[in-house]
Amino acid sequence: MLKFLLVIIISISGSWAQGPMNFCTNDLETFPVQAGGREKPLYVLATETIRYITGSDKVGEFSATEAFCKLSLKAFGMPLELPVSVKVDHIEVRKLLGMKEDQTHLPVMELTAKSDLLMQKTQEIKENNSFKKELNKVQGRLSTYQAIVGARAWTVPVLEKGQISFVPLSEFLTQTRVESAQGKGANPVSYLFEVAKRDYLSVQGEKYLLELRYFKLNLFVWALFASLLGIILFVVMKNKLPGAIITGASIVCQLTAMTIRVMISGRAPITNMYETVMFSGFGALIISIIIFYFRREILFVLAGLACNVLSLMMMKFANGMLDEGISPLVPVLRDNFWLSTHVTTVILSYAALALSWILANSLLLRARFKTVTAAEYRYEVDLIYTSIKFGVVLLSAGVILGGVWADYSWGRFWGWDPKETWSLIVLLVYIAILHGKYTTLIPPTRFVPLVAGSFMSVMMAWFGVNYILASGLHSYGFSEGGAVFLGSFFAIQIAVLILCLSKSGSQVTPS
Amino acid sequence: MNNLIRTYRQVELFFGNMKFAVFIILLFAVTLAYGTFMESYHGTEYANRLVYKSWWFMGIQFGMFLSILFATLLRLPPRKSLYGFYVIHAGLIILFLGSFVTYQSGVDGTVSLAPNLPSRQVQVNEDEFKIQFPAKGKEVIIPLPYSAGKRNLGFEYEGVKLSTFLPFAENKEDWIFDPAADKGQASTKYRIFNDNFGEFLTLSLHPQSAYTNTQQLGPLNVHYMPESLADCFAKNTPDGLIVWNGETTGCASPERRDIRRTRQSTSGRELVEVSYDGQNLRFMPEMSPLPLDEKMELNELSQYRVFSKKLFEKSPHLFLFGKKAAFFDKDTQKWEAHAAGPGQEVSLPWMGFKVKTLDHRTDAYPTMVPHYIKPIQDNGQVTVGNLKAVEVEVGGKKFWVNSQEPIAFTLNGERITFELTKRSLTLPYEIVLNQFKMDNDPGTTNPASYESFITLFKGNEGSEKHRVYMNNPLKHKSFTFYQASYFQTNEGPYGSVLSVNFDPGRFWKYLGSLLLVLGSIWHFVLRKKSVVKPGEVRA
Repeated sequence: MLKFLLVIIISISGSWAQGPMNFCTNDLETFPVQAGGREKPLYVLATETIRYITGSDKVGEFSATEAFCKLSLKAFGMPLELPVSVKVDHIEVRKLLGMKEDQTHLPVMELTAKSDLLMQKTQEIKENNSFKKELNKVQGRLSTYQAIVGARAWTVPVLEKGQISFVPLSEFLTQTRVESAQGKGANPVSYLFEVAKRDYLSVQGEKYLLELRYFKLNLFVWALFASLLGIILFVVMKNKLPGAIITGASIVCQLTAMTIRVMISGRAPITNMYETVMFSGFGALIISIIIFYFRREILFVLAGLACNVLSLMMMKFANGMLDEGISPLVPVLRDNFWLSTHVTTVILSYAALALSWILANSLLLRARFKTVTAAEYRYEVDLIYTSIKFGVVLLSAGVILGGVWADYSWGRFWGWDPKETWSLIVLLVYIAILHGKYTTLIPPTRFVPLVAGSFMSVMMAWFGVNYILASGLHSYGFSEGGAVFLGSFFAIQIAVLILCLSKSGSQVTPS
Repeated sequence: MNNLIRTYRQVELFFGNMKFAVFIILLFAVTLAYGTFMESYHGTEYANRLVYKSWWFMGIQFGMFLSILFATLLRLPPRKSLYGFYVIHAGLIILFLGSFVTYQSGVDGTVSLAPNLPSRQVQVNEDEFKIQFPAKGKEVIIPLPYSAGKRNLGFEYEGVKLSTFLPFAENKEDWIFDPAADKGQASTKYRIFNDNFGEFLTLSLHPQSAYTNTQQLGPLNVHYMPESLADCFAKNTPDGLIVWNGETTGCASPERRDIRRTRQSTSGRELVEVSYDGQNLRFMPEMSPLPLDEKMELNELSQYRVFSKKLFEKSPHLFLFGKKAAFFDKDTQKWEAHAAGPGQEVSLPWMGFKVKTLDHRTDAYPTMVPHYIKPIQDNGQVTVGNLKAVEVEVGGKKFWVNSQEPIAFTLNGERITFELTKRSLTLPYEIVLNQFKMDNDPGTTNPASYESFITLFKGNEGSEKHRVYMNNPLKHKSFTFYQASYFQTNEGPYGSVLSVNFDPGRFWKYLGSLLLVLGSIWHFVLRKKSVVKPGEVRA
């Protein structure tokens, strides 16, 4: 049925015979669609979907929007081939599909030919290991591709009795609809889409376009540059004003981006991993400035900027682990004041502890490779201590607010859930250090490496619970983005500790 | 007296010591980390039984409590510089006490509501074993230990012994030795396979076996029969009837002289009259192999059976007799019998399938016996070890009662029932679910909200209607009801699960938390005492 449509379109409108080139342009970016339970511009849907399938924002020379449109029109018999290649991450799966070990993508046609093999292998494997997970992912990518070329992924708004509902493209472009639009507009299909968009705007307004602006502005990338430049200016220049100005610019960028995000999603920006990284990086910078206000020590701001840069880099480059998409929340997280307060507090505490982590590691490395006077050492230990105090106060408040939230949502204050348990473990680790600092157990020379190492517990609570514990017994294969990231973090931190402690007596000279 | 004070001083110094604090805090942290990994691998219940609800974990928490308490007592009378410290530690002590109150007398359970069915039972996450003597109207309830491993119960009451309790188990096939079994109670294990497919098949005629004597494998029907019938299946007689006496285990084809047979046709079905062993028996073999009595009803007590082999010629039927196998070959239009002793293979006329006899026994029967296993969690679901079981010994017999179904047993003519269930509490009012509503995110099947419309029936006090949904619980007389989950009933509409909570320690936990947070702000943030930067002089 769908395939005949092209014939009809061509027969009633000469211009369409030139193919979809005229229709599938970047002008469609602003077209309203519904996907994943939300209304958004086509640009966002197309970019997310194409990125999910291929891992990149382009297909050949075409933008995601153009490619998405062209692929959707294949359902109507449009004779075109796009070089779509599906991303395959796991080496074992690559071997299964006859790919080379270093070949990251497989053309979709080849993958389709092997879909039976994928299905058979998935059913064969009983345990839910990383191999099976990747098989499921590859199949998910393939079925998403098939949904596009079946014109099911693209939804079109239809006005009925003053209300907007969305139908898949395959149901939208029917013979009767196209025929009824004959002779109107440049060609009947473009006309139908124009009407659909106009109808949508008349009911829902332009609010959905905010998301397009949000993604196009790339404010976090600008913030990343600003924060990096800020560090350089602070280190290089004696005058602190240029650094302060550029740091301010970074804060403005991030604040604007987060505000837009809150306006789009209608909730606090702390409900998935991407948002917690975003918020913690921002929080670290703000907290460092607050502490700077009390202590008048520029090192804090430098550490804050460093945390900020690290988190912004994760947001930009760790796409496999952090998903920047905005999606609806699961019911228990909705309309929840306590959740927002709890997560905000915990994330801010992690930000403060991240400051102590940066300061501790920097002191460790400087004491190992340069010389640090005993007075300087003592002074910086006190700076680290200050950030831990902030972290511990915020974290105890956060853990308790977590209990309040659990009590409010589930009727129990504490349930030994892994996320809440690990936040408590982090608190206990830092509390133990604070207590030990009063005894002979932890002199300053032990305090610094302990603080540097203790941040691993934060990383475990923050990422490990989701990426290691949640995946269960059968996922020792550290093949997924989150686990690889966490494993590398632990390895590097441990390597730094071994390097700095290997030489007995760091180079601290008496002042 | 002085000694007592000195001992107290020593205790105070030991537990209030900062080094003890560091030790106990780290021990607590390490235990928690261990618990989270156990939970990830083996599920929430196992982690709770192994760590979080265990006596030794309570001990560590008590150690924390002692450390906090004595550290505070050691620093009395109050010093101004330590005000924050006192508030923090007082908060913690109150928090611990509040948690203890909750642990001792709180209720955390669930109530499952099928639509329009009143309920007042709250299920609590504790197991108990019920022994009921319906004739005497007596019921004994034994609370089961909240342990992670197997436990010996050592319980005895009126001739009923409870020995082992398995909190996590899987049923496994075990062969039970039974020297009293006769040839007609044989059991055999087979493997049916071709080049791409294979399956193990255990069949048994023993009344106590967990296995049946028929099984369906796709289009193939497998029948397991006493060995004495094998010869009759092997014979190719014109009408294909077999008469069998279950007590003498003799079988015969009606061609034999002493079997007289007439045929009548009522309602289109074939009625067969047989004279066998001097008895006149009437059968409708198309309907049932059981003979009919005077009222033309099936006589289930009879020892005789008649099989019409014609019934088994149209579709694939495989007859297994332990050491022999028989089937109808469509190509030759003949019944074939083959020797199929242990280790032997028989080729079947369907899709290259073969059947191999693995084990054949007449002195033992296969049955499902629960074995202890550490549960395994996969993708948030416990996939292995969901069964609980208690071993019961009564009247010289040993058997297992598991959490899936109650078991009835007759001892000296008296019926006793055994049941392993979750403990439940009874509410003083009835709850009825009028409707459960679930909304999805637009254009998807992801749930966006759950809502339960319920009515409370409180006897003389009348009834109340309420709406319970996510983050909007119902508070009623110190009990709180939360929307927790839902399930689909057989009839179609959804049922709802509410979690029910009663927490007498709540106020103290909140008070303790508040003090803790205020105290730490006071102690850490408001007290300024920092090291001066080298080269700077503090004004």
